[in-house]
Amino acid sequence: MNATATAGPAPGDVTKYSLGLAAPLALFFVVFFVAPLAQLLVLSFHNDAQGLIWGLGQYAKFLTDSFSLSVLGSTLVLGAEVTALCLVLGYPIAWLYHRVGGRTQTLIILIVLLPLLTSVVVRTFAWIVILGRQGIVNSTLLSLGIVGTPLRMLYTQGGLVVALAQVQMPLMTLPLITALGRIDPNLDDASCSLGAGSWRTFWRIILPLSMPGVIAGCTLTYAAAITAFITQSLVGGGQMLFMPMYLYQQASTLQNWPFAAAISMIFLLAVLAVMTAFGMLGRLSRADGDAR
Amino acid sequence: MNCDRRSLLTTALTLGAMHAFPGLSFAQARPLVFATFTGSWEEAHKAVLVPAFRKGNADASIVLDPMLSVDQIAKVNAAKANPPIDVMLHDPGPALVAIGLDLVDPFPVDKSTYYKDLITEAQEPMGPAPFFQIVGLTYNPDTVKTPPTSWADLWNPEFKGKVGITNLNSTLGTGWLVEIARMHGGSEANVDEGFKAIAALKPNLAAVAANPGALATLFQQGQIDISPGNFNAIQILKARGVPVEFVAPKEGAIAFKTTIHIVKNSPNRDLAFKLIEASLSPEVQTTLMNPPYLIVPTNSKVAMDGEIARVLAKDTAELKKKFVFQDWKKINEQRSAWIEKFNRDIKI
Repeated sequence: MNATATAGPAPGDVTKYSLGLAAPLALFFVVFFVAPLAQLLVLSFHNDAQGLIWGLGQYAKFLTDSFSLSVLGSTLVLGAEVTALCLVLGYPIAWLYHRVGGRTQTLIILIVLLPLLTSVVVRTFAWIVILGRQGIVNSTLLSLGIVGTPLRMLYTQGGLVVALAQVQMPLMTLPLITALGRIDPNLDDASCSLGAGSWRTFWRIILPLSMPGVIAGCTLTYAAAITAFITQSLVGGGQMLFMPMYLYQQASTLQNWPFAAAISMIFLLAVLAVMTAFGMLGRLSRADGDAR
Repeated sequence: MNCDRRSLLTTALTLGAMHAFPGLSFAQARPLVFATFTGSWEEAHKAVLVPAFRKGNADASIVLDPMLSVDQIAKVNAAKANPPIDVMLHDPGPALVAIGLDLVDPFPVDKSTYYKDLITEAQEPMGPAPFFQIVGLTYNPDTVKTPPTSWADLWNPEFKGKVGITNLNSTLGTGWLVEIARMHGGSEANVDEGFKAIAALKPNLAAVAANPGALATLFQQGQIDISPGNFNAIQILKARGVPVEFVAPKEGAIAFKTTIHIVKNSPNRDLAFKLIEASLSPEVQTTLMNPPYLIVPTNSKVAMDGEIARVLAKDTAELKKKFVFQDWKKINEQRSAWIEKFNRDIKI
């Protein structure tokens, strides 16, 4: 009764695309990403700065050195702090977006996107002005008589976390807005009519269903926060050492490329491990949701 | 003629690549690439050195590619056979690294008109020094009423939480550490006393900047009131209305030679030589000595004048007497160990 269904895909079937379409991008990736990465890996397996003697010395040096490990640790912690702050501040905005009228929605999107339209350098300099001794925060606190002398906020971990959170916020909010938009609004009403309160509805319905957005947002924010060389050095200063600056110092100032290569490989693996953990968390929560 | 899809695509890709990377096919005919420093250096070289060079060389094309010394080395080292830069500009530490990595050709001293007129400290056969950088004390005259006179003033309790320094990534940071060590009996070979002194400075430290440029921002924001600083960097801030003054400490201001080098395997060797000649010439150095640039000259035929004569030295004899030159060969031997120690120990 249906000829096309039995005849297999027709030549002009619009749902089938050849993988060949991805070839240009794949080629680009192989030439400009995979090949240099392989080169970096090879370079990291050298014991001397000139890259002549093979060995695992650079990895041993990093992994047995408590200082290097503490730099790695503090970088990963910094990422976690920024991600947590972005999530806590970004989720309500994304939630609000789906509960207001069209005009306010445009306004919210504009506010969320605005930071992306200015350069990271400009945003970072703005934070230097905000956090400085004569900055907006300090002059407000002083004029209200809350503090007697200006607080030190620039070049502190707290200041850096806040600045990074603002700089990376769109990466968290946009996936959340998309994920929350996919949830059928009727589910809210259904949950309520079955007797659940608003908090219960949020924890049991909305949050689990928005998990893909949370995971995507966290992954993007985390990756951007730990590699944000400019913001880290301008707001964090010269004595707070994170992996990107450590890497730059070894590669540029000290010209020790094999060690720098080893640092970047270790950094890459550590970040991949964190990303995998995020992904597993997402799968777990989904499986958990399905089980109920 | 074979005109199938594949050959068409190949042709299109090749044309596209040639368009995207014009250097592919015309490597020999590229303009002279001069890697100057960013900021005030770029401005000065664009406004004075480049026009002087082009005037004397039939409008030869030249490109300024401003970047840090260490980045210049990284770029040239990554492509030794076909370097993307023809003329490099270096602080003393990186200059020795570049020479050690065999990235530069010796300067043809015999062919040079101006080399012999340079003061002896600037005569470097692997690349002469057309300029000096001077590091002394910079302070905010609005908040610091009595101008400081010595490096030791940084430890004055009056400046509690007001002092800024940079880490050792920069020439300024490393040079300053050596000077502080010297004050306490150390030398280029032993800076332990310098580290002890920095540890004692902690109550006064407001910031350890990641680079000297960040110090300027900190002055503007009132985050710091006093710091070791570069004479030229201060002039820009002053010109923009930031309250900041420079003073040469009585122990002597630190002088860094900024050397200029012909890159090995450069396809533009002759033009590179001519650009360096222009930078050594009394005309260019005189213009650069005057406001707004105020770059300290190295050609002994240039008479010191204006702000430089007032704040630094009246002539080359006084300059040699008042400035402290450091042995960067010795410094480079241990610099990575110092950077590591600084990373570990200096936490505020």
